[in-house]
Amino acid sequence: MATLNITYDGMSADVPVELDRPVSDSDVRRIAAELIRAGGVPGLHLAHLRDDAFQHFVVDRFRGARGDERIYLRPKVPFGAR
Amino acid sequence: MRILFCGVGAIGSQAAVLCRNLEATLVFIDFDRVESKNLLAQAYVKPSVGKNKAEALKLQLLNLHGVKTESFGVRVTRDNVAALCGGADLLVDCFDNQDSRQLLSEFARGAGKPLVHGAVSADGTFGLVRWDERFVPDAEDTAGQATCEGGAHLPLLGLLAATLARSVQDFVKQGVRRDALVNLSSVVPTSGP
Repeated sequence: MATLNITYDGMSADVPVELDRPVSDSDVRRIAAELIRAGGVPGLHLAHLRDDAFQHFVVDRFRGARGDERIYLRPKVPFGAR
Repeated sequence: MRILFCGVGAIGSQAAVLCRNLEATLVFIDFDRVESKNLLAQAYVKPSVGKNKAEALKLQLLNLHGVKTESFGVRVTRDNVAALCGGADLLVDCFDNQDSRQLLSEFARGAGKPLVHGAVSADGTFGLVRWDERFVPDAEDTAGQATCEGGAHLPLLGLLAATLARSVQDFVKQGVRRDALVNLSSVVPTSGP
């Protein structure tokens, strides 16, 4: 069991996902879009979310404090702010 | 303890103000000047318009808070990065471009200096605090991608600056290096003890 954290449009939510094999970054983006459209992410139900909504998002992977797998899907932060 | 804030725009100026309680010498580096539009999202006040940002922040901290700091009103380049940053005990990256972040990261890794990065997404909905050992700069989608300007994203910028200042303070006081994801509804620790 892994935890997928999705940050989108200023909102952020965790959702548990069962992954039976390593998933690519593009798989993570596709899974996230489908979960959100289906209402499977608490606080992030967007029925008309586009397929390419996460096209430019970054996938980070961490191990939690107990060794659990955490996958973060987040916007890019290339520049900071003036 | 000598803490260098590299870039004192929206993130750096506000994070620096929130570090004024530390028993440390705060040093500001920025070549840019304060413009009227900066007053909406940065720590500057109206009398600072037209002044160099690093110098203006130094004067504000002295005159408004009684805190002595140092300033360098120059652009950090490959030629001067060692001279500017070599004496630092902690580097805080608040630059607004990938090249400068990368330059600072290369210097810190070569010199063994602790470095923490603070950055926001261009749409102002998301920010990151990340220590350099876990730092990978995100590639821009299009050349010259817009940065956020004006006061449109002030609440998120304030949240990120406070989170960055907290990470700096935790490092100074306890030696820990905490990363965080920041958005308008939450601050999520992503690593560290």
